[in-house]
Amino acid sequence: MLALQTILDGLVLGGLYALAAVGFSLIFGVLGVVNLSHGAIVMIGAYLTWFLWHSTGLDPLLCIPPVMLVLFAFGYVYQRGLIQLAVDRSSLLASMLVTFGVALMLRNLLVLVFSPDFKSISPGWAFSFLRLAGGVTIDLVRISALGASLALLGALAYVLNRTRIGRVIRATAQQELAARLCGVNARHVYAVTFGVSAAFAGASGAILGIVLPFAPPDEANWTLNAFVVVVLGGIGSPSGALLGGLLLGLISTATSQLIGPAFPNAMMFLILVLMLMVRPSGLLGNAFAGSR
Amino acid sequence: MLREAVAKHRWWILLAIAGLAALAFVPFVLMPFHVRVGQLILLSTSLGLAWTLLGGFAGYWSFGHTAFIGLGAFAAGLFETQVLGLAFMRAEPLAGLGLGLLVGMGVCAVAAAIVAWPILRLRGIYFAVAMLGVAQVLAELTNSIDAFKGSMGLVFPRIPAFGLRQEAVFYYLLLIATAAILLIAFVVKNARIGHGLAAMREDEDTARMLGVPTERYKITMFVLSATLTGALGVIYAHSLGYITTGSVYRTDFSLNMIVYNLLGGMGTLLGPMIGAVIMVLLTQVVLGGFLNLHMFLTGAMLVALVLAAPKGIVGTWQAWRRRRASAAS
Amino acid sequence: MAGLAPPPRECRVVKPPILALNNVTKRFRGLVAADRVSLEVQPGSITSLIGPNGAGKSTIFNLVTGYLLPTEGEILFHGQPITGHATVRIARRGIARAFQIAKPFPEISVRDNVRVGALFGRDGPRDVADVTEQALDMAGLSNFADRPAGDLTVGFLRRLEIARAVAARPVLLLADEPCAGLNPSETEEVCDILRRVRDRGTTVFLVEHDMAAVMRISDHVIVLDAGAKIAEGTPAEISADPKVIAAYLGTPEDA
Repeated sequence: MLALQTILDGLVLGGLYALAAVGFSLIFGVLGVVNLSHGAIVMIGAYLTWFLWHSTGLDPLLCIPPVMLVLFAFGYVYQRGLIQLAVDRSSLLASMLVTFGVALMLRNLLVLVFSPDFKSISPGWAFSFLRLAGGVTIDLVRISALGASLALLGALAYVLNRTRIGRVIRATAQQELAARLCGVNARHVYAVTFGVSAAFAGASGAILGIVLPFAPPDEANWTLNAFVVVVLGGIGSPSGALLGGLLLGLISTATSQLIGPAFPNAMMFLILVLMLMVRPSGLLGNAFAGSR
Repeated sequence: MLREAVAKHRWWILLAIAGLAALAFVPFVLMPFHVRVGQLILLSTSLGLAWTLLGGFAGYWSFGHTAFIGLGAFAAGLFETQVLGLAFMRAEPLAGLGLGLLVGMGVCAVAAAIVAWPILRLRGIYFAVAMLGVAQVLAELTNSIDAFKGSMGLVFPRIPAFGLRQEAVFYYLLLIATAAILLIAFVVKNARIGHGLAAMREDEDTARMLGVPTERYKITMFVLSATLTGALGVIYAHSLGYITTGSVYRTDFSLNMIVYNLLGGMGTLLGPMIGAVIMVLLTQVVLGGFLNLHMFLTGAMLVALVLAAPKGIVGTWQAWRRRRASAAS
Repeated sequence: MAGLAPPPRECRVVKPPILALNNVTKRFRGLVAADRVSLEVQPGSITSLIGPNGAGKSTIFNLVTGYLLPTEGEILFHGQPITGHATVRIARRGIARAFQIAKPFPEISVRDNVRVGALFGRDGPRDVADVTEQALDMAGLSNFADRPAGDLTVGFLRRLEIARAVAARPVLLLADEPCAGLNPSETEEVCDILRRVRDRGTTVFLVEHDMAAVMRISDHVIVLDAGAKIAEGTPAEISADPKVIAAYLGTPEDA
């Protein structure tokens, strides 16, 4: 039954990884920018949720929409005000450095505002759990975390595939010039994409806060996780993120279960490098293939 | 070719020798606190130069070079305390330190050689982030495997030498290291490999087509850069006296090595040196009172730099000189 | 002056060809890009490969330099097969290629660009400074040697491409449309440079669209059409050949 429990835990963690990575993946696919401040945005989401829950007693799951809204605005401004400037002035590599710098600034700010100590969010229903057949248990927290992750990923997939703005985003990713010639304001689209990415990072932060304790320096791990998920699953699509996320979740739970709690990152890294060498565009490839 | 380069840069070389000689007198003149600032400047300068051997010369920007600071520090520390033992270190501190340096550098060289083959097949952002991963993983393993003593910490024996105070000892060690790395970098830059690397940095495929052994060159530079960074890690750890994972595997080290080069000028020798001096003076002296904002300020500095002067001080200066020369002709 | 001594020009007929293609065929799926092409390049010559667009000229170059693998046939360099060898290995044996789209190292100086060719060329790093300066001089780049290559205009970039290739002291230089997009005086300069390259002992194999230039500098001309060789000879013979005229202008029935 240990195996089943491990798989279940892996899936919960995997859903979270997937949600945390989908925004990173979107920016990578659409803008070609590696956003090293993505993990910091995830952490902001966690801290904002913690703050809302702590100060108003609002259920953490209900905090998700306002957190997403705030971070959407943050992402929009961040892209138009800073990233686009860096891309225009020098190169994509330079834009990556800008995001690296911003990540440090944000981490420092989080430490100053919220202290470097671990925080956690525990709603009233935190201690109820279901007992499944054969002694496998799953608590309500993790069921809702998995459910919320999957629902949000589904929503994003719907937006990208079925709505006008989703089509515009995909068109801009494939052929920026052509899209511009069709009257698309590419800069606006990029900024919206960034906003969406930040909003979903924020949502994953909220869910992460319910499942795990968190501290500002975790941001580096979440950026790295997102990168691994994208490399595993493929660039730019929610389904790629889901696949990569679930794989990563299962791998890291299994590794810490079978080899030792110290090794998930090492294992993850090994798989990352192998994957990059064997199949650089991920299992599902680039959703915007042919764009670059 | 090297002779030609020496002749061409003879004034710079004389200046460098004079500068290093002048720096040798610092511990006799300045207060201990200022000697420590001097230590930090030398450490930063040499780290910037060690990074540039790979990042500046070959164009492979490592985002996780602190991996080798940590690896060197822990390898030397474990060797000195567990293998040589404190009794030996007390009796023969300099020999112990020398052996520790060799072990630290050796471990870094071997580790780099092992990692090089898969990781250097990646280019650009993939390489950068993979190095970030290497640093993260090494730090985690050091911290969670008890034998490495990363979470408990390692105490380094003192290195009494020539009747000097500790901060002066490490100042001189770092001064020698800086001079050595500067010399190595100068030789590499002006040798055949340096020209091959410059070509490779601009266009790896064309360079290979012209016969540049790109594969061998980048592995060489990766191992060289890692080994020298490891040596600096060993010296730094000794100067701290006591290290944990967090004190040597520091993301801000990785970041700063890039910042020095960006600020000063990527791919040059003068660049990382200027960048390191400015950054250390700025953060330690001017902003010394805002310790809890260090990371924020370094990050802001990086952002401002990329936006304002992507070619760094030396690059901007060279471009200005070129413009003036072509306007005159 | 290593390796750049002028060859005895009169031996041409007696010597074996420096490059020979024997019945080389290259198929891409259904398309036949080279159809049983046999040709020879004599040492010390400027041999040109011409033909209408899509005739297979670039395919031949890509086959010789190892970018493509022939479907059938054999490629001989100095009488020895190089079919299917890696690009780098072929370059090491002394076949250099100057690309139509110049690939300079933009941020390093013109001299250092050429120096890379000299340092990593066929003979390794010997007389690097001399070879570099000679190549610069031959390509008329000495006055710009200290500028970053990125500052050069298209015409000068083309010269740099040739200079960098020649600095590697190749036996055979493959020049890929060196005059494309250049004005008449720039074209004339490039022709002069190619002549100088030949006179210093490097055989030149040229693909070019500029017919006037080809006729002026070639010792031997080979014509391809639709992947097959349709004619070869001296420039005078070629310009009088009805098959060649038909290939370029279309036969009366086509019109």
